[in-house]
Amino acid sequence: MTDSIQDLLPPGIKSIVSKLSPEIAARLEEIRIREGRPLEIVYGGRHAFPDAGGRPAAIPADAYHPGHEECIRLLDLLTKHSLYSYEEELRRGYITIAGGHRIGLAGRAILEGGRVKLLRDVTSFNIRIARQVKGCGAKVLPLLLDREAKAVHHTLVLSPPQQGKTTLIRDLVRLISEGTRELPGGRKVGVVDERSEIAACVRGVPTFDLGPRTDVLDGCPKAEGMMMMIRSMSPEVLVVDEIGTVQDAEAVWEAMNAGIRVIATAHGRDLAESSGRPALKRLLQEGIFTRLVQLSREGERFETLVRELAGQRLKQARAPDGREARSC
Amino acid sequence: MLKTLGALLLLAAGLLFGFYQSLNLSRRPKQIRQLALALQRLETEIGYGATPLPDALRSSASTLSPPLAALFRSAADRMEESGTGRTAAESWTQAVQDGFFRTSMKEPEREALLQLGASLGISDTQDQLKHLRLAVSHLTVEEQNAADEEKRYGNMWKSLGVLGAALVVVIML
Repeated sequence: MTDSIQDLLPPGIKSIVSKLSPEIAARLEEIRIREGRPLEIVYGGRHAFPDAGGRPAAIPADAYHPGHEECIRLLDLLTKHSLYSYEEELRRGYITIAGGHRIGLAGRAILEGGRVKLLRDVTSFNIRIARQVKGCGAKVLPLLLDREAKAVHHTLVLSPPQQGKTTLIRDLVRLISEGTRELPGGRKVGVVDERSEIAACVRGVPTFDLGPRTDVLDGCPKAEGMMMMIRSMSPEVLVVDEIGTVQDAEAVWEAMNAGIRVIATAHGRDLAESSGRPALKRLLQEGIFTRLVQLSREGERFETLVRELAGQRLKQARAPDGREARSC
Repeated sequence: MLKTLGALLLLAAGLLFGFYQSLNLSRRPKQIRQLALALQRLETEIGYGATPLPDALRSSASTLSPPLAALFRSAADRMEESGTGRTAAESWTQAVQDGFFRTSMKEPEREALLQLGASLGISDTQDQLKHLRLAVSHLTVEEQNAADEEKRYGNMWKSLGVLGAALVVVIML
């Protein structure tokens, strides 16, 4: 499963990752590589600093320290030997590779006219391993259905990073597109996948299973992409990841008024925190979203909370049993 | 009888050697010119198409003569070989080291290629274009030298081969 990542790692780090114990390897979430500092792995909600033999070191100083040469090699491999064709990605600070894994980058920013032009001397890599957890949305979806209109409610998924937001909506897309007992036949789903995370497209073809009735607009800015989708693909449900800017919110608002059901995610802990953000403020105040899904996790225990937002009336319903974190 | 046969063989060998040398001399400027054109094509691929390096190398190899095209393709193959953790610079250097002797080019061109390899793929578009242009201008100078050499020594080698062989024949007889 982590083969596509292993192929990209420089030999030193690759051998460590392959020596990790099976329990850790199966739950691996992040590999963090920082030049001249200890190698870090995050698994099952915990973290460790593995040494050259792949065993967690007691103190960070004993851990494996990736060097300058290894970081250069990693960047060369990540960019398929063509850094120049990843300028846009370097500007945004992350690269998505085949398999949907995302690699976050940090280094020295080169500015041009006050805006980031490029990252240079990339010295921090965060390899986030994407997993498709089929069925993790099965218990959430029934709570999001609008039985009268035979459609899905406008839904906002809120959570801080690393709680499984993308994994959840990926499965929701699959379920809505395939159809379930409560939603026979499925619906046409349009996904605007700006960061190539939901579908993990390689040359435009999704590598994750998103169901038979899903169209993906890959790598397109959300605000523009949503309008393109509405005009060209006539989706019944529109899914976007991480709405953050005012333009994004504007486009969501447009889509909702075009009679399309929208499922969106945003970073945030709870409603109060999110309604403080200018982009979400209007959407939340106008009460357009009728369902709110909040995710939280403690170690390997994931919890999903679905709230009904209808005007000012808030009714809480807890998704039974939440979701389980399991690789597949 | 046997002596005559030996003498004829020697003369033929000398003739062929002379021709081979002069052929190499005349091939060199041609190959340098081709290489410069291929690098310019690579420049376009990188500058306007932002094509990934292996694909860009393959498409610029299409206009090259066999030994150089093989060099470009082997570099691209090495880069795409998965699981080896090889960088672009390493792949390129290995390809040049393995395939360069099949071309008719000489040390200065080899140097230019190796120098270019060290910076291939690891910087932004502007920087890549600069390095490629530098290599092209380097090659243009060498092409001039190669053409001069061909003019000067091309005919000389042809006659030198036969004459050298004739000299050996005379001494032996």
